[in-house]
Amino acid sequence: MSTILEVLVNGLSFGAVYALVALGLALVYKATRILNFAQGEFGTVPAWIAYVVMTGFQIDGDPVIHRGRLWLATLIAIAVGALMGVLVNTLVIRRLASVSPVTSLVATAGVMTFLIAMQVIIFDPKGRRFPRYIDGGFHMPGTDVIVAWQNVLIIIVLAAAAALLALLFRTPPGVALLATAQEPFAAELQGVSVSAMRTLAWATAGALGAIAGMLGAGVFSSTFSPGLMTATFLIPAFVGAVLGGIASMVGAVAGGLILGITVAAANQIVRTWNLDVPGPPHLAVFLVLLIVLMLRPTGLFGQEA
Amino acid sequence: MSIIDELDPDELDPDELALADEHVITPTEAAEAAAWRPSPGGVAARIVVLVGLLLLVVAIPQIVPDIYTNVVSKAAIFGLVALSLNVIIGYTGQISLGHNAFVGVGAFGAGYALTKMDLPYAGALVVAALTGVVGALLIGVIALRLAGLYLALVTIAYAFLAQEVLFNLRSLTGGGAGQPAPRPSVFSSDVSYAYFCIAVLGVALAFDWRLTASKGGRAIQALRDDERVAASWGINVTSFKLLAFVISGIMAGIAGALFAGIEQLASRQDFPFLPLALTFLVMTVVGGAGNRWGVMQGGILFAILPTLLDRAHESFHFFPFTSVQVTWEPAIGALLLLLTLIFSPGGIAQQQRHLLNWLSFKRFNEPSHGGGISRGGMGARP
Repeated sequence: MSTILEVLVNGLSFGAVYALVALGLALVYKATRILNFAQGEFGTVPAWIAYVVMTGFQIDGDPVIHRGRLWLATLIAIAVGALMGVLVNTLVIRRLASVSPVTSLVATAGVMTFLIAMQVIIFDPKGRRFPRYIDGGFHMPGTDVIVAWQNVLIIIVLAAAAALLALLFRTPPGVALLATAQEPFAAELQGVSVSAMRTLAWATAGALGAIAGMLGAGVFSSTFSPGLMTATFLIPAFVGAVLGGIASMVGAVAGGLILGITVAAANQIVRTWNLDVPGPPHLAVFLVLLIVLMLRPTGLFGQEA
Repeated sequence: MSIIDELDPDELDPDELALADEHVITPTEAAEAAAWRPSPGGVAARIVVLVGLLLLVVAIPQIVPDIYTNVVSKAAIFGLVALSLNVIIGYTGQISLGHNAFVGVGAFGAGYALTKMDLPYAGALVVAALTGVVGALLIGVIALRLAGLYLALVTIAYAFLAQEVLFNLRSLTGGGAGQPAPRPSVFSSDVSYAYFCIAVLGVALAFDWRLTASKGGRAIQALRDDERVAASWGINVTSFKLLAFVISGIMAGIAGALFAGIEQLASRQDFPFLPLALTFLVMTVVGGAGNRWGVMQGGILFAILPTLLDRAHESFHFFPFTSVQVTWEPAIGALLLLLTLIFSPGGIAQQQRHLLNWLSFKRFNEPSHGGGISRGGMGARP
């Protein structure tokens, strides 16, 4: 019983970060039909900026982190994330010579590589400490399973973000956003500024990515390193988004959480039966992706593939 | 679509038309181009240059300093990987973000065949090629159901799977110590191995050339431009897409076997997703997807780029070389990729199109259609 509970708790704590990243992916896909491989770095780069703010621009060695600046750093990080989204849209996506979906995907993969490479140059590829918003945790009543407060916070943020996004698509700007995605030309005729809508979508995705980055950077201890959000969370988030139906906000959250639990279960299975299988999370993620694409490419909540 | 469609063609300034990016070749022009032959002097000049280039390739393993002989082998192997990826990106218009997995599995397959199964070298190459076939069939079967975006996702997930699971299987890869993969006894020295790699690249180029000239090769390229139209002309979409993936997988597997031979060891640190898979993608796109000479140059460029950066950092003591180091390579590659996609989607091949025309016994300024990544498939849906 306590094992199952532990799997659930662990799974939901990873899954919530997957879901936050997946929300950003789904939003960009819904508005622009682009799979954004730079979404993970919309998290890591703002987290680095926050790190620099908290250490007072000390990056060598293991600098002192001023926790008092955490909230200021968070605000700056979110602004940086939104700005990055806008910049990627303006400087890269809109200027692509060919507008085929594959080309834009390759371009976002290029942005991702560039951002990670710059982080490696500036910060060196080593793990660092990153503060959590709330330290410590509590025992689940009646068991010895510990739930970290940080994970509770991530779930709350996730719920809030998903609710806000779901509401967004009920408001006039949200409907305009949907119209832009479905038929840009017709939307333009109705007086919707397509470029403004796309900028809005990218900015929101960037801000969401920054929130995911600030929360995700502190999930594991001493492992905040260049490219963290891409290496650890991006692929599961993508698979989660596909599982939920790539253009669905509710689906992204559900898919991310389900995938988190699957990954935790895979880890637990390998540990319990002492199997000699390397990398159980990656195996689980790949299998889930294959199964979803084979059986139901539209995902759980998707209407179209 | 564009304004030009709605205008009366007579009113258009011909100069303006020439500025249009994709020049449409009329049948008359095509017939003229086909009938054109260079003058005897032109033929002689082209032959001299081609023979000169060939001699240069033959001489390179001898003229580079000994410590860089292995870089020559690596350049030939990267050229082979670029040709492999070109079959998927350039010819079928699909995408693979996981070619490090194909190459790595080929390397470990060859190492396993040589050390654990005691196969002769040719047998190991066959095993490496077969691992490519298996991987390609696995990915290809999925590719048949999905196009474009979802396929990219599957390949990237496969790359991570290979990095974290396959390359960590102790029995296959020898764990952290790596799997020994000795060179064939005839080519055991560095220089002779470089010649061996160049020869394999030459065979692959010839194969690629005949492939695109064959009915099957044209069918594969027809899929890129429009699957439905291709199907209506009686092209079996399923088998030809699968064929393209298998060809690409075989080339990548053999490239992996050759790569393992450079250090005579296949080790899991050699095939990371970041940055290797993206380097492979970058060199193909920057080289000019769809053009075998372009992608080959892209491969060679990115194989020698780390060495060039290292040398420049050591030899030049002025900006920017004082700060640019070998660690900058992925950043430079990514920047080149973005610049290529935005300003020159045909890559190196587009820049050199006049030269390439001239060398292939055509007119220097032959009209040609634009190449580059994903020219077709505008209507592709994920």
